[in-house]
Amino acid sequence: MSAVASKSPALTPEDPGKPESTGAVKTTLLILGGVWIGGIVLLGLIYGFSGTRNNSFEPQNEFKLSQWVNLGVFSVNKAVLYLILASLATCISMIYVARRMQARPNKVQTAVEALYELMHDNIAGGNLDRKMTARWFPFIGTLFLFIMFSNLIGYIPLPTNTEHYIHVFGFSFPAFSLYAATANLSIPLVLALMVFISYTYEGVRAKGPIGYLKGLVPGGVTGAMAIFIFFLEVLSNVMRLMSLSIRLFANILAGHLIILFMAGALAVILGTAWLGWFTIPFGILLFAFEVGLVAALQAFIFATLTAIYLGGAVAEDH
Amino acid sequence: MHIPFLFVLAATESGEFIAKAGKSIGLGVGGGLGAVGAGVGIGIIFGKAIEAITRQPEMRDEITQLQWLGFALTEACFFYGLVAGLLAAFIV
Repeated sequence: MSAVASKSPALTPEDPGKPESTGAVKTTLLILGGVWIGGIVLLGLIYGFSGTRNNSFEPQNEFKLSQWVNLGVFSVNKAVLYLILASLATCISMIYVARRMQARPNKVQTAVEALYELMHDNIAGGNLDRKMTARWFPFIGTLFLFIMFSNLIGYIPLPTNTEHYIHVFGFSFPAFSLYAATANLSIPLVLALMVFISYTYEGVRAKGPIGYLKGLVPGGVTGAMAIFIFFLEVLSNVMRLMSLSIRLFANILAGHLIILFMAGALAVILGTAWLGWFTIPFGILLFAFEVGLVAALQAFIFATLTAIYLGGAVAEDH
Repeated sequence: MHIPFLFVLAATESGEFIAKAGKSIGLGVGGGLGAVGAGVGIGIIFGKAIEAITRQPEMRDEITQLQWLGFALTEACFFYGLVAGLLAAFIV
């Protein structure tokens, strides 16, 4: 995130043509604003400022999972396709870069090395000691990369919407849609369960089953208070499952929902043409925000919390 | 006194409207109040981060990392409210 910001040409000397270039930017912005407001007025005048409500379009169907291959528990639907795509993207890109390591890195290798440094030094190394980092860095790094790729693939429009079809030259294609594996609650929940099981396992291995349960209560607390705090801590451990999974799922789902509404669903539901023109700039801004910040930030948060939980499970004193 | 009245309402068509109104209120309160709380929290986090960086610019990297962690944890609280609202509006 910060690597992108530091690339801005802040150190370039004073540009003689600067006043004209800022003037050109201003003119362009004014023209774009004029086109935007003019379009709203024009569409409102042509199609009317009030429309009839369209009840046939149901936005929740954009996230409906229809089964494509029916195999019982192993059925293939949209979420499974995105899951496979994200896993393939993670494995293939990382193995490809790792196989072609060079002494003089190109741009892609530099980016991946910066990512590796972030994962190893900040996420894992910042919250775990050296031995634990060596043992758990592969897990934390894989979680980070998988969640990031899964989020980012979710913002590429892919022809996966089998509710609607596009007809071109006699062929029918599924309509393009945005969906992410992480916009489905089950996948973040499974990832959170993996984290839960690993840090409990690590805590039990470090302290023994009795020691781990005793370690939940902070030292110095005795009697009835200790029992109360013990149950509170057990509850908070279960709540970690919910907070980890719902944070990731709801962030991505809300991002997709708001892009959907800003990019035209609102206008389709309310049946007003000018509203679609009005919301499109917000849709583009939100899309940039989601791709640029939220996708990587959520992966970062998930991996950091995993490292914090792992570190907390083996810490000697609570 | 009131409960039989509600039963009568539920049996008629206006009961459906009341159910719809309740769902809309659930979505509005869940999303709206969640946004209020998370907005205040995110404002505090970024304000404090700016304060901390101006006091100790050499700690910038560590503070930035903590700032994003706090931002995401606070933002998540908004989504808990929003998910509860969406559950009320579309599923219950």
